[in-house]
Amino acid sequence: MPRISGTCAFAYLILLSSPLSVVFAEDDHTNHRMMFSESGLVMNNNHHTLPWDCAEISAEHQFVVSAGREYARGVPGMVFGMSQHEHKVEPCSRITVTFVNKDEVRHQWMVHGLPAYLYPTGMFHLEAMAGKQVRGTFIVPGDHKTYLVHCDMAQHMEKGMKGQLVVGNGSGNLWSVVGISDSFRRSDYLPGYTLHLIVLFTLVIFIFVFWRLRKT
Amino acid sequence: MITGKRRLLLLVMILISIVAYPPSWYPQAFRIQLTKWFGAPSYRSLPDSRQADSVQAEVFCPPDLSGRRKQHQIEGVTISESGLCVADNPYAVAAFVKGTNNVSHNTLMRSGLTLDAIEKGRDLDGDGDPDEIHIRLEVAELNGVSTESNRPVTQYAIAPGVQPGSWVFAPKLQGMARENFESVNARADLRLPSPAIRVEQGDRVKITLENTHYMPHTLHLHGADHRFALSNGQGNDGVPITSELPVLPGEARTYELQPRNAGTTFYHCHVQPHVHVAMGLQGLFIIEENRPNNWLQTMNVGAGFVRASSVAVKESFSREYDLHYTDLDAELGVRIQSSNDPREVTRSMHREYDVTDATVDYFTLNGRSFPYTFRESLVLTSGDENIKLRILNGGSEGIAFHTHGHKFTVTHKDGVLLPAASQTLQDVVWLASAERIDLALSTYNDGLHSYGPGIWPFHDHQRRGVTTDGIGPGGNISAIVYDEFLDENGWPKTQGVSYKPFFTEQYYQKQIPVWQSYAPGLFSDPANDWLMLGRVLVLTLALATISAMLMVNYTGRKKT
Repeated sequence: MPRISGTCAFAYLILLSSPLSVVFAEDDHTNHRMMFSESGLVMNNNHHTLPWDCAEISAEHQFVVSAGREYARGVPGMVFGMSQHEHKVEPCSRITVTFVNKDEVRHQWMVHGLPAYLYPTGMFHLEAMAGKQVRGTFIVPGDHKTYLVHCDMAQHMEKGMKGQLVVGNGSGNLWSVVGISDSFRRSDYLPGYTLHLIVLFTLVIFIFVFWRLRKT
Repeated sequence: MITGKRRLLLLVMILISIVAYPPSWYPQAFRIQLTKWFGAPSYRSLPDSRQADSVQAEVFCPPDLSGRRKQHQIEGVTISESGLCVADNPYAVAAFVKGTNNVSHNTLMRSGLTLDAIEKGRDLDGDGDPDEIHIRLEVAELNGVSTESNRPVTQYAIAPGVQPGSWVFAPKLQGMARENFESVNARADLRLPSPAIRVEQGDRVKITLENTHYMPHTLHLHGADHRFALSNGQGNDGVPITSELPVLPGEARTYELQPRNAGTTFYHCHVQPHVHVAMGLQGLFIIEENRPNNWLQTMNVGAGFVRASSVAVKESFSREYDLHYTDLDAELGVRIQSSNDPREVTRSMHREYDVTDATVDYFTLNGRSFPYTFRESLVLTSGDENIKLRILNGGSEGIAFHTHGHKFTVTHKDGVLLPAASQTLQDVVWLASAERIDLALSTYNDGLHSYGPGIWPFHDHQRRGVTTDGIGPGGNISAIVYDEFLDENGWPKTQGVSYKPFFTEQYYQKQIPVWQSYAPGLFSDPANDWLMLGRVLVLTLALATISAMLMVNYTGRKKT
């Protein structure tokens, strides 16, 4: 089973393997493995270290995810969007995501709930600056689970940038994923005269029933 | 007619209702007459005082685990010691001074800022400081709606348990909006108010508004010298009805200015300003006088104490504070929490909300209300100091700024120096909505400028300003605190009432009697009179039975 052969070697690997001009840095507080450049940020990149429950890489996946306002076009009530809101992979897959930001503001593509022994705070994180793209790789564990994918800028998940990564059979759909699952806090979207209609209906039915009962 | 058993039941019920009817409800004249006949009824003790619920108070002053308060020397920048309980991130201060493009990666990572958050370029006048400044601002929503729970997300409390929905201009931060994945709280540098911004007179300043929010916004530089339009025709005033289209979500626009005059000015969003400014899209914009080697702290996150003051300020003052006052309307803020559909939110905020019928509920200083103001917005002094206060009233109405124990001098109004003859000593000054004043506060103990060491509150002297939704003490109360009255953690050694109640949600939810902590029993809530409740219920039962019987009798008679 491959093991991390020291932070420096790991950094060197990343520098070699990445097409971007990246800088490696250690965050003093959280020890996140973090690379950043003018294009953005990759956190907890993992090409080689296998999760404990994986004997080998089962499959390779390459996803290109584009993000921005244009991907919310035609989605009522959403402002931001992603080109793909659901990804299905096999347990123990290695996933390389190229995250393309089509907006003039920052966006993120983050996976949560990964094993913390491999991904500090359980997170794999891509952040792309305006008009830029970043690429990162991670390996999912062997269990069947549905992971949250989102942009963690204030209100971006709520306004459309929520997705899910289904590993194996997954563990059920998450709420409020555009095109996949229903909105947990869906408004009623009733016309303004609904209350009048209810009163009118109640009156009509009441009078009708009263009249029928009186006849019998 | 009611007959037999029914008549008996009716009579019993009437009798019960007469007996159960509380004598204290009898007409007053009748009661007096009864007293004349029989004398006053015998003594009944009033209900006891209710026992105080045990509530958990927050820690007044959270420990400074990462040593932010002490003096730092980062990237060659001296970041002065902050005596306050909660201090700014010194690495962010260093990055604001040097420019995020000019600091080491370690400093940048620890600052939490992106590489392009504050870019500082060439020194155009050759005086040893950069004159090309590129600032990037994002727009963030605090206490917004969650799609997964009824609690808001990216939470920010202005006081214990008080989390009004708000919008802010924010520095361009790297990574998540929350503290961490498990938390629903906004990270510490994502907060109210929008950051105070500092540039130097004559700087070529670019400010890019990167609209990360789901609504349209602009940037309007209120009182700062800027052109109406750029040379390419792009509007530069930020006013949708006269200058340019708003910046839509996901889009960015760069505003430019090269201010010819120094002064304390104001920036805010100008899209539907009666709502957007009220939501928090407002901040101090300070143009410092041009001096050699004048490296400015381009942003002061959360306003308050300036840890790296300008050369000109240091010439005359030992400390400088940015004081940003504003007010918030709970009925407005809640509208972003009531739906996740931006179309519904827009309708609710811009058509259903009527600012002409509105009343504000919360009064903040630097984005917090008392007691949180004591953590980060005290004005500290060792005595015999000249302190500069830059004050902005971003609220909907005027404030009557008042200091206890001191008379101050207003040196500038709306960024313009006042003639010497107008610079008189005063202890109350009126700030109209959007007005700025620069104020010189001397802590020289001469019985006029200062009455000597102590903990001297300062606040809006209008009565509602010292409350949080009508509960006092709250609102924008803060204090001038002399060293000998400050403990080593930055918390004032107050000698009055216990602060425990103020650090509970329940106090501001109006659940705790205001004097309970030091006069237990005397002014607590009285317990309920269960006997009285029993009486009222029996009376209700009897009257209901009587009316039901009469009704049955009436309808029954009609049928036959």
